[in-house]
Amino acid sequence: MARWALLSGLGGDLDVYEAVLADLRRRRVDTLFLLGDLIGPERDCRPLLERLQHPRRGELRAHCIYGWWEEQLLAERGYRGERRAEALRRESGEDAVQALLRAVDPGLMDWLAALRFGFVELDCALLHGSSADVGDSLGSATDPLCLLDRLTRMDVNRLFTARSGEQFSVALCGGGITARVRDLEGERQLRQSVPSRQVIGVGRGLQYTLYDPGTDHLDFRTAPDPARVRRRGFA
Amino acid sequence: MAHAVLSCLHANLAALEAVLDDIDRLGVDTITCLGDLVGYGPQPNEVVELVRSRGIPTCQGCWDEDIIEGLNACECSYPSQLAERRGQLAHHWTAAQLSPDNKDFLASLPLSLRRDGLVFVHGSPNSQHEYLLPDMEAFAALERVVSAGADMLFCGHTHRPYVREFREGSIELRLRRPDSGPGQESERRMDLPVRRIVNAGSVGEPRHGGTEATYVIHDGDRDTVEIRQVPYDVERTCRAILAAGLPPPFAWRLRHGFEYAERADDASHVCER
Ligand SMILES: [Zn+2]
Ligand SMILES: [Zn+2]
Repeated sequence: MARWALLSGLGGDLDVYEAVLADLRRRRVDTLFLLGDLIGPERDCRPLLERLQHPRRGELRAHCIYGWWEEQLLAERGYRGERRAEALRRESGEDAVQALLRAVDPGLMDWLAALRFGFVELDCALLHGSSADVGDSLGSATDPLCLLDRLTRMDVNRLFTARSGEQFSVALCGGGITARVRDLEGERQLRQSVPSRQVIGVGRGLQYTLYDPGTDHLDFRTAPDPARVRRRGFA
Repeated sequence: MAHAVLSCLHANLAALEAVLDDIDRLGVDTITCLGDLVGYGPQPNEVVELVRSRGIPTCQGCWDEDIIEGLNACECSYPSQLAERRGQLAHHWTAAQLSPDNKDFLASLPLSLRRDGLVFVHGSPNSQHEYLLPDMEAFAALERVVSAGADMLFCGHTHRPYVREFREGSIELRLRRPDSGPGQESERRMDLPVRRIVNAGSVGEPRHGGTEATYVIHDGDRDTVEIRQVPYDVERTCRAILAAGLPPPFAWRLRHGFEYAERADDASHVCER
């Protein structure tokens, strides 16, 4: 049976990626989705991006989409028309923009620019934020009406999202609403139920999520911290 | 206090004059306009100037935006290719006719207006191009009202007036986090607020099946919304459309009250522009 691993927010950290891959061994995962934020301003992202493009023998190839950090970089390097990395500039200032530019070699841009916004697999949408915006941060505290709207926009039963960095699942399981319309033809009323749908936050970095689309089983996991594993090794 | 809300004037001077007469006759002195002052119709400058001279607070419509920004509507703004071609013709004609001063006025319009719990937009709070149709998925429609922070949301853009009220709404959910063990999910029920969407219809290009101009009057004290239908001199506008060399279907559909295949049929479509 197919089993997915969903991760995000690697921030260019190859050690974290390898730690997750190691944790995935023996978990019978056959598809690996990387839901954006492959890159970040904190380190040279080349080793990770090259590994994603050229997995080692026997290693899963990650299906990648772009996230908020890629969007900022693509905008700043002119891949988004007139737009620049305004959101990053507003939140963290010019230094952060310059750090991001230094972290990703221009030679890697074509590969990043070719990444998709999201995947729809079976009845699941796999996105970084939501279809409203790549930066749309959905979490366990998000207004359920907003979660339902994001599911409705994609017309899917499961929405996997990563932007908030939180691991969570909100299952909509009951309720309804009455809508009464009056127009020039008269009046009508309709009662509608809440559809059984679910929004899942996959986590970021070492925190990732396993999903079995056949049984709908979810497993929130945290891979062992590579820094601590190394320290223990030297002790 | 009663106030009038108009939308989609579409450069139809005779219709606007008739609606303003109707409002004056009823003694209503607060008017709000939801945009689309121009497009389709033959008198863009006259209509903009009348709105300006009356000092009517106005938000920017999809046509007003496109005239300023150049055509950048996503394909969902037009229900068919034929409609799109005719729409483009009207766009270029209107852009050529409008005075620079009137263009500046359209460019200066805000995307939304707010008065107490009332929020006024052209299409939806998300976009001037999103249609809030009367049969749009109810939770998604309510989300537009709630996310705009409105008790009552006034919109236009569909050219068909309606009042839609959401009641007895609730959402039940089950929350799971990594630390919640098996069977330890928390359950929650959220009651949704009672909210309303009021679509003001269209003064200058009605698509409700009749030839009358439509608009609404909301009386906050009595908590009523009245959909008004106002007959006007349709022939005067039709003659001006043909004299201006605009597509004849724009005149036919005003004369016959046809919906004329120019309405968005997919109630669930969300403009992702
Ligand atoms: Zn309109
Ligand atoms: Zn419009």
